Amino acid sequence: MPEATPAPPDPEGKKILMIMTSGPEDPDKTYAPFYTAALMAAMEIDTTMYFLMHAPELLRKGAAEKVPLKKGGNLKMFIDMARENGVKFLACAESCRDLCEISEGDLLEGVQLVGSATLADLALDADSVISF
Amino acid sequence: MTILGGCEFPDGLLYFVERTQMTWVQVEGDTVRVGLTDPAQTRAGKILHVRIKAAGTSRERGKPLATVESGKWAGPVMSPLSGVVSEANPEVEKDPGLLNTDPYGKGWIARLKFSQPAEVNDLLRGEAALAKFREILERDKIHCVRCQG
Repeated sequence: MPEATPAPPDPEGKKILMIMTSGPEDPDKTYAPFYTAALMAAMEIDTTMYFLMHAPELLRKGAAEKVPLKKGGNLKMFIDMARENGVKFLACAESCRDLCEISEGDLLEGVQLVGSATLADLALDADSVISF
Repeated sequence: MTILGGCEFPDGLLYFVERTQMTWVQVEGDTVRVGLTDPAQTRAGKILHVRIKAAGTSRERGKPLATVESGKWAGPVMSPLSGVVSEANPEVEKDPGLLNTDPYGKGWIARLKFSQPAEVNDLLRGEAALAKFREILERDKIHCVRCQG
């Protein structure tokens, strides 16, 4: 009998920062991060997604419904799933202002606008940083 | 057994129905067995992975007991009661598809030794449970299917 693989340590309480740089211009790059973040949050990992460059476009009200997925449907259900599981969404204020031309009122409810210094704080504080 | 919207609800079970959670609970002495209901497994789709909290893990009511993922859905299975996990179903960990094909039988997820007996009274049962499921099935347009293989 081969020995059973030991169970991985419980990740509860760890912190993961996920950095999103792709927006609606590349739908194939949008689904997996939200799905993975939703799963991580369900595992009780403190999960934050930070959106910069064109990624804040995904958080514009009504935008996710217009991002089609190859597997069918659109991005909205994955964003909803991540939020439902407790993923925190932060949008880069500079990217919103200079690249995306999004004001705070255009963003989905609960999305927080933060500056670039916050990214440094979050990255240093996280147990792991994942970039998409 | 009651069937609503093609979904099976065995007699004698208690149900934990809150937010996105729809789990069944079978009281067995001072422990309970917990699993996904038919509409919960249908909504998840074909489940590819499950990770269950290890035996000995303390859980408060409403904290994740397991996580399941199907490729279209990833989320927690919340603990319906406070207590300590006494057993994670090893068969389901090896073959997560059991959650779809036999949700009330071989697809049970975990056993839990509960610590707050009063919480059992908060679980839904009988007609109250069926009324709640009827409302959810209609609202979310769920018609149960059992993914095979």
